[in-house]
Amino acid sequence: MGDSHIIVVDSTDNLATAVRTVDAGETVTVDIGGTERTITVGDDIPFGHKIALTDIDEGETVYKYGKSIGYASEPIAAGDWVHVHNVESNYGRGDQAAEQTADG
Amino acid sequence: MSEFYGYERSDGSIGIRNFVPIIATAPYANDTVKRAAEIVDDAIPITHPLGRCQTKPDVFQTYRTLLGYGTHPNTYGTVVVAHAGEIVDGDELADDIAETGRPSASVNIHRERGVMKGLEATVNTAQEMVQDASAMRREPFDISRLTFGINCATSDTTSGLCQHKATAGAAWRLIDQGGRAVFAETPEFFGGEDGLAARAVNDEVKGEILDRVENWDQRLRDTGYDVRGAQPTPDNMDGGLTTIEEKALGALVKSGDGPIQNIVDYGEKIPDGSGMYIMDTPGHGAESVTGIGAGGAHFMVISTGQGHTLSNAIMPTIKITGNPNSAERVPEETDIDVSDALVGDASIEWATDQLWDEVMEVANGKQTLSEVLGESQFAIHRIGPST
Repeated sequence: MGDSHIIVVDSTDNLATAVRTVDAGETVTVDIGGTERTITVGDDIPFGHKIALTDIDEGETVYKYGKSIGYASEPIAAGDWVHVHNVESNYGRGDQAAEQTADG
Repeated sequence: MSEFYGYERSDGSIGIRNFVPIIATAPYANDTVKRAAEIVDDAIPITHPLGRCQTKPDVFQTYRTLLGYGTHPNTYGTVVVAHAGEIVDGDELADDIAETGRPSASVNIHRERGVMKGLEATVNTAQEMVQDASAMRREPFDISRLTFGINCATSDTTSGLCQHKATAGAAWRLIDQGGRAVFAETPEFFGGEDGLAARAVNDEVKGEILDRVENWDQRLRDTGYDVRGAQPTPDNMDGGLTTIEEKALGALVKSGDGPIQNIVDYGEKIPDGSGMYIMDTPGHGAESVTGIGAGGAHFMVISTGQGHTLSNAIMPTIKITGNPNSAERVPEETDIDVSDALVGDASIEWATDQLWDEVMEVANGKQTLSEVLGESQFAIHRIGPST
């Protein structure tokens, strides 16, 4: 049975949300839409933070609720902590708009 | 038929409180307002930094917001306090409030010949209104008369998994009985706008939702900076939220999945028809909640992850969390703890029942934690420059 404290919202998501702290090296079983998957967690995960379910390439879309929550800013391995250090947003990016203006 | 006990107004609205706000039209009346409210028990001070040297779009927005507080269903009567002649005119505001049949008075500090006489006039008028208000009795009315305000605060990853579901459940329970609900915070639709727009009752509302989301993204792009830090906020990120899209997809859970009737402007009155409405506001909680208050919501459910002091003077705010750590860490910011439903130890239906029961008690007069503790903020969303 999947760990009830590690939640996959939509079966197409490539990450899970931990509502308990998880230690690096811990092996956890998650329920992904009725299918179980076992993952070895690579980092300490604080309460409420996210764990990659699959390897995610740099630039690839990161999914939660079955929808994009941004893109990987560096390669992410299954079991890694997923947060602001490796995921960027597609919205409110005045910085990118300013770069394009400078380049153009 | 379910009923609540409220106060009937001469414009036909029904209040769940019987407040007497004292409203400053500009910052130069703020201290008089605050001092008067310290003297007059139960008077509510409404102070802000706006109302003078503003461009017209901001003048309209400030005026409409202040008028919304003076004509709110929970308002018995209002004292408007101006410093002198202002572009947000105190006499005009008091007259517009009086048109709803509510007691209304205008005090002008210069006209009264200074702050001491201005304070005396404000106190004398307010104390009379508070005493008259206290003589009113609650009467039973159908709950379809109620408007349910919804806002999030210091969201974290538990918000979209638990407490927002209970909030949506309670809001739709009211809508199903003929009432209405409103949520806001347009930048917190980013990434979920297509799904939200698909819930619109017609193509016009659908287009309006998408246009307003694009308008906010454009405003943020025009700053030339990445919005991260402002959205999501540092406390959101501490709670595990990584991007504004993740925050938004969770935030939208609090509106449920039923049809969206319309999207209204900041501080605009919420329509009388039953259903779910959106108010176009920033995600800044003090500003969005202030706008929803001006729109006439009777009470506000603040669905929070990490806990928040966010509250409002005119609308009782009921704070709900599904994060067990927050409920324990900031108990006075937690009216309802539904964390048993976070990992399935209890059902979302149970969590909805907990919130619904509290909403009904608060509508009947039970004070929320922020009311008892005297917590509230007032912040009108500003559009352009001062001049």
